Parts: sequence; structure tokens; C-alpha cells
Amino acid sequence: MVKEKLKYAFYTVVHPLDGFYEIRHRGRGSVPLAVLFVFLFGVCFSANRQYAGFVVNFVNPMSVNSLAEVLSVFLLFFLFCVSNWSITCLMNGEGRFKDIVTMTGYSMLPMILTYIPGIILSLFVAQDEEAFYYILLGLGIVWFVLLLLMGVMTVHNYTMGKTLFTMLLTFAAMLIIIFLAILLYSLTSQVVSFIVSVYNELMLRV
Amino acid sequence: MKKKRLRLLRAVSAVFAVLILASEVCGIRAYAGQNVPYETYTYDYYKDIKYTPAAYLPDGTVSGETIGCGSFSGPQDLNTDEAGNVYIADTGNNRIVVTDPSFRLVTVLEGFDNNGTWDTFSGPSGVYMSSNGNLYVADSGKNRVVELDSGWELVRIVEDPKSDVLGDSYVFSPLKVAVDYADRIYVIAKNQFEGIMTFDEEGSFLGFTGTINVRITPWQIFWRRFSTKEQRARQQLYIPTEFTGIEVDGDGFVYATNVDPEGKQSARRLNPSGEDVIQKVNKLSGDLDWRAFGTYSGPSRIVDIAVREKGIYSILDSSRGRIFTYDHEGNLLYIFGGLGSQEGTFTTPVAIDTSGDRLLVLDSNRRLIDLFSATKYGELINQAVGLRYDGDETRAVECWREVLKLDSNFELAYVGIGKSYLAAGRNREAMSCFKIGHDKQYYSIAYKRYRNEILKENMDFILAALLAAAVLWVVWSKVLRDRVKEWIGNRMVKRG
Repeated sequence: MVKEKLKYAFYTVVHPLDGFYEIRHRGRGSVPLAVLFVFLFGVCFSANRQYAGFVVNFVNPMSVNSLAEVLSVFLLFFLFCVSNWSITCLMNGEGRFKDIVTMTGYSMLPMILTYIPGIILSLFVAQDEEAFYYILLGLGIVWFVLLLLMGVMTVHNYTMGKTLFTMLLTFAAMLIIIFLAILLYSLTSQVVSFIVSVYNELMLRV
Repeated sequence: MKKKRLRLLRAVSAVFAVLILASEVCGIRAYAGQNVPYETYTYDYYKDIKYTPAAYLPDGTVSGETIGCGSFSGPQDLNTDEAGNVYIADTGNNRIVVTDPSFRLVTVLEGFDNNGTWDTFSGPSGVYMSSNGNLYVADSGKNRVVELDSGWELVRIVEDPKSDVLGDSYVFSPLKVAVDYADRIYVIAKNQFEGIMTFDEEGSFLGFTGTINVRITPWQIFWRRFSTKEQRARQQLYIPTEFTGIEVDGDGFVYATNVDPEGKQSARRLNPSGEDVIQKVNKLSGDLDWRAFGTYSGPSRIVDIAVREKGIYSILDSSRGRIFTYDHEGNLLYIFGGLGSQEGTFTTPVAIDTSGDRLLVLDSNRRLIDLFSATKYGELINQAVGLRYDGDETRAVECWREVLKLDSNFELAYVGIGKSYLAAGRNREAMSCFKIGHDKQYYSIAYKRYRNEILKENMDFILAALLAAAVLWVVWSKVLRDRVKEWIGNRMVKRG
């Protein structure tokens, strides 16, 4: 069962239209597997910052925090899924939240597949050969973007134009959510500090 | 019991003696820092501050009183000649003070004989001793540059430049002056944003050099589109930044400093046709990061430059009172100095120059010249950079090794040592040195050589392995695969 789901993820990566269609309509995707892919991508992303070869690595190793990086990948993933779900709900999208999560997670698979060889390759390149490394990483990212677009298109049964428009709205929604979260945070912290100061006043004066 | 204590005492004192001796030998005493009123630091590859031993130490101060000419009043410029004589533009007292290298008074110039009548200076804010022995004074209050010969007799007055580009109502108010070997005169004038004004040896205006182009970012254009006329009128004008300090090196290149509000480039090296040919590694504007608000905020305000030997130059920051020293490639070597009122710190540093091995910094508000002399650490860096400038990398390596003994964080030293390993064919060692020194270019060269070496040494193994793999593959695909399949098939049939 697990083996079959895993095989299907790889099938989806090379046959996105058919793959995502069956994920939506025949339940051939797996949410835990998608979350695992996101986790693996977070690990690869952080490993790339930490272990990429000297020639291509411009990151201060002291600034690498694997936990924070994996968490922020998860956060962005979650933010995207929520925004996409809220936008497509209003725009006659057929996908369920489950499908969006599965689709986004599966789309990250090519990046995992290129980051790991990329890191290994980067250990053996000189400065004028670094293009191979960047092409490899770029390939993964382009593949990811294409899969994501096709995924949104297939899962929600959209046209390409509508997909692009929805993507724009999704990013806008992401920004709005971040803005609201920051607003909420700052307001809550003010309320908390107000309560704390009232408490202090009462304890110290009365 | 007593014996034991005595023995302990003896051991402790022996250890102390060794320590004191060691510190004496290594010269650590000078780096202990108890008398240094500022931090010495540099930026590493990641633009993090790395504190280093002191490169320069305060070496006394000189005031008008100690020279014996009475207190200075708001002095604005200081210049030295090749012999180390010092010329101070004592702006508030309307005079030029000349001293010898050990700050004994040579003369005080309050004016000159202008075709039979006695003429005085008025607020001279710039002074320059040219290599041909003539003294140039930027006499700001009287809108002229005065050239005096070695007997302090008038040679020429440069005033009231006429040109179409200047317009009729232009008032020439020189602030700083410098002269190259061909007696071309370079003047930084007040409110002159077009660049450095140049004059030929006869004093006629040639044009501007080193014009800094205004950079407007797309963001600024974007905001301007949305602002009303009134708003636009109140906005900051997009004008080029002003030059602040100027000096000419032995090859006739003009070094000039300017205030860069973005903190990207504050030092320029202009070739005779006015192009900036300075080499940069990183930003060339003092501190690489700074606070946005509050005290000590904003980019460094670079006010003057001291051109030193072997392509080394130091620039002076008036906002935080620091001196930044670069080599000819633009590598930051060391940073020292600070604001304060202790000896070796400044309140309003305005000018910097060298006299012999010492650095001289003029503090306008405190009316002092602060002297700095190099420690062993600073000297070693200067020496190593100088040797590299001359192309003598092998001798530079010895200096770099000494530098690393005092400061193991000095990245440039690792690069220097790595280059010598590379030349000696020790690629593996070179690679690790370049890695510590963060020189990707040379690392790549060393790595390629190392990789070729490994490949060459193991070529027979690699070829043999490839051959073996090919043979195995052929045997498998031609002969074995079908048999194995047949065998498995037979077993399946038997079972089924």
C-alpha cells in the first residue's frame, strides 16, 4: 500500500496532469506522504545551506539554524495551502484542502531529488564549473513551479489563465494573512502588557 | 609544611617569570590594550566584526602651545611633505603653521607680499605642499588659492575662474587643494557638486574631474511619480555628494573622499582623465553596517584620506572617529580610533596625513594633532602588504606567518600563505589556506590542480575499474541474465 502510494508520487512528478487528476478524483494521493516530502525538502534546503561546497556556499555557517529553517518551510507551505484554499473556495475551485496539501507536497519532490545530488556535486566543483550546480538546482525549482501550476489547474479544474490569476490572488492572500498575524500579535502583546502593568500597579500600590 | 609552601611559591614565581619573559619576547605588552582607548577591528568575509590586536597606538598629541605658536583655532587641514614637515591650516587664526617632523616651529605664515602690499589670509581651510616645493593655500575667505614658493614669496594667485559651465554669478570658495607632479591644481570648492575643479599650472580653469553621477533608484522614481509639486519641492534634492578630502600620490593619481549617504563608496582614485580606477573588494566606505537611528548611527562620514606607501591608504571617519586602512586591492586591513576626549580619540577629526611612519590626525574642536604609531602587529601587516604590492610573495609569507601568530583571524594572511603553497605545488595545503581565507578564485585553482593530481595518480585504478565494470555488464547482459531469468521462471513453475 505504502509502496504503491510512493510509486504513484513519482508517477505524478512525470505525468502531472493525469497524476493530479487521479489524486483529486480517485484518492490516489496521500497526505502524510506529502507532509513527509515537505519535511524532506526542509531538510534538503537546510543541508544545502550548511553542507554545500565551499565554492558555491556564501552562507555563514554560524547563521544556519536547521530547526528554524525546516519550520519556516513548513510555515510557508501551510500558509500557501490555506491561502490557496481560501481563494479557490471563492472561485469555484473543485479541490478540497486535502487535495491542495497533497498537490503542493508532491510538487516539492523534484526539488528533493535535485538538491541532494546538487549538494554532492557542489563538493567537487571549481569556480568555473559552478554553473552545473546552479543548473541542477534551477531545474528542480522550475520543475516545482510547473508542477504547482499544473497541480492547481488540475485539482481545481481551471484553465491556465485562471490558474495564474488565482496564484496571484493566493500570494496576495498570503501577504494579508501575514499582516493580520503580525497585527494580532502586536495587539495581543499590548493587551498583555496592559494587564501586566495593571497587575503590577495593584500589587505594588494597594 | 613550610617547605611545601616554599616550593609552591617557587613554582608559581617561575611560571610568572616565564610568562613575563614570553610576553616580552612576543611583544604582547603592547597589545594588552590597557592603555588603548579604542577597539581595533576588521570585518571578516561574512561582514562580522573581528576584534584584532591594536594596529596603531596613540603616540602623543601636539597642540599650538607645544609647537610654540599659540593655540590653534578651528584648524581645518593638515598636510605633510616628503621630508615629514607638517603644514597646518589654522583656519580660525587666519594663518598657516609650518613645523618640522618633530613639531618644532619653522614659521607661521599670516600673509604674503602681494605685489608690494601686505596681503593676509582669511579663513584658510586647505593647505598642500606640492612635490616641487611650492605651498598652496586654499584661502576660502578671500575666494582664492594662493601659491607660495619655498621662501614663502608669492608665485601666483588662482581666483575667479571663468568658464561657461560655471556661470557669471559663480563665487569660487576653495576648501581643499592638491597639486600633482605636473603642477595641475585640484580644488574642492564649496557648493560645487560637479566634481573637483582642476586648474593648469598657470592657474586657468580646465574643468571638472571625478564627477560623481547621481544614482536615482527605481523606488525613488516611483515615489516621485506619486508626489505633488509641493511635496516634490520639499523633498531632498538629488544632487551628487560633495568631495571632502583630496590628495595626490607619486604617480599623479588623485585620491579623493566624498560623503556617501548610502555608505557604498567614499574613496576614489582618479586617473589623469578623471576616471575612478580604485579597486574594490567590498564596499569602500568605512563601516559595513551601522545603526539606523540614535547615537553613533548612519554610515561613516569620510572626511579625508592619507595616501601611504605601497598603495595603502587610510580614510578618516568623522561620525565615529575611526580610521580605516585599505590596501591597493581594497582589502580592509585594520580599523581603529574612536570618539572621546582621551589621548588617541577625537571629537571632530577633520584631516589625516602621514609623517614618516606615524599617522597624524587633526582634531578641529580640541585643537590638537593626535599622533599614532604602528605596533608590531600593524607594522607586520603594512610590511606584508607592501611586499605583496612589490610582487615579492615569498618574503610576504614570512610576515603573514608572524601576523597569524598575533591574530589567527586575519584572512588576508591565509590567502598570502596559500599562494606560496600553490606556487610550491602543495595544493592540498593551499586549498585549506584559501578556504580559511575565503578566496574562492584561488581555491578553485588549487582544487583543480589537486583534482588532476588525484586523477593522474589513480588513473590505472580508475581505468581498470571501468574496464572491469564494462566486462561484467557484457557478461551479465549477454550470458547470465537470460539464464537467471530462466532459472527463476522454472522455479516459479515448479512451485505454482
